[in-house]
Amino acid sequence: MNLMADILINVIIAFLAGSLLLGLHRKVMARVQKRPGPPIVQHLIHSLKFFFKETAIPKTVSKVFYIGIVFILALIWVVGVIVGPVAHDSLLILFGVYAVYKIVEHNAGSSSGSPYGKLSCVRAVLSAATELPLFAAIVFVYLITGSMNIGEIISYQSVHGPLIFSIPLAALMFFMLIITKSPYSPFAITKDKALISGFETEHFGFLRGFMLFSESIAWYVLLWVFLTIFFGPLDAVGYLIGMIVISFITGFINATTPILSPNHSVMTQITIGAICFFGSVLMIFTGVVA
Amino acid sequence: MLDYMIYILAFAVGSILGLVYSYKQHGEPFVADSDFNMPAAAISIIGWCLAFNSGNVILSAIGFLLGGFIMGERPGYGRKETAVGLILAILLYILLKVTV
Repeated sequence: MNLMADILINVIIAFLAGSLLLGLHRKVMARVQKRPGPPIVQHLIHSLKFFFKETAIPKTVSKVFYIGIVFILALIWVVGVIVGPVAHDSLLILFGVYAVYKIVEHNAGSSSGSPYGKLSCVRAVLSAATELPLFAAIVFVYLITGSMNIGEIISYQSVHGPLIFSIPLAALMFFMLIITKSPYSPFAITKDKALISGFETEHFGFLRGFMLFSESIAWYVLLWVFLTIFFGPLDAVGYLIGMIVISFITGFINATTPILSPNHSVMTQITIGAICFFGSVLMIFTGVVA
Repeated sequence: MLDYMIYILAFAVGSILGLVYSYKQHGEPFVADSDFNMPAAAISIIGWCLAFNSGNVILSAIGFLLGGFIMGERPGYGRKETAVGLILAILLYILLKVTV
């Protein structure tokens, strides 16, 4: 198939599937809290609605940055789709996507001129602690498979079995990143409700529409990468079941845990990351992992 | 991947249509335990069975549209009907796998 058509199809699938999964996530959280909750399709309708709303630009913003950052955000997640589901390319590029995402979070907050956005921007720097376990997880995948290429990791797993059985602690580290990136997460310090909507607070209309579009794609890419590098070669049904199950689990976790304060959040992430890191090193050097 | 895009688009469009239709039918406040709706159950069963077992892109897309239509109804409606439809469709899928 034509590469451009393949990219377009995958981006549409990522947006629709991500939106529906985030809708499911909200529904699960609502049912845990004994509320009826919105329909599953609500997140999708919500995202589309913002594209038709009036876009107001506050006087205090740094205009070029304020508008540009939203397109960069959408672009980096489209790159995420291209690197992951389309090209099966290197995990390092995906790590780069997460690093740029952190910068985008930071700059979206700082360019808005709002105190809520600025505080969220400061917290975005603190929450870089999330990316350390991700990098460590990628390193372990490399140590076991000898490759950073997603296609080669899939081939390795089709011969040796899913990596979740050989490096479960690395998978746990990656899963912590999924929890961190999920809505209403205990680690989502940049979107703490005390900061209204954090770095998104001052983005209205189609700008917010692009942010929600990116959020949906980000969720899909994150789940896709996790399932691909730890659960081996999966077919469409496998991905569907895996993504629904993970959205359920994160929904349960987020519905029952309060948001942590920034220092507690960072310390918890680093502690879990460190335990999993040394645990994985121990497993590799004591020969538990073949 | 084109077929999966068609399925997910059909499901999303069906859900939105179902939501709009359902709000037109039921304007009352949230009902925790709605009555079982036979026509909706029939649509759901036909939809999910077509979606999982037809083996044809267009028929499956129509199935996802119908299944999504009932699943996407406003909160409190279409849940039991969706459960019945899904269970029957999955049973049919397993039966077809075992026998064919």
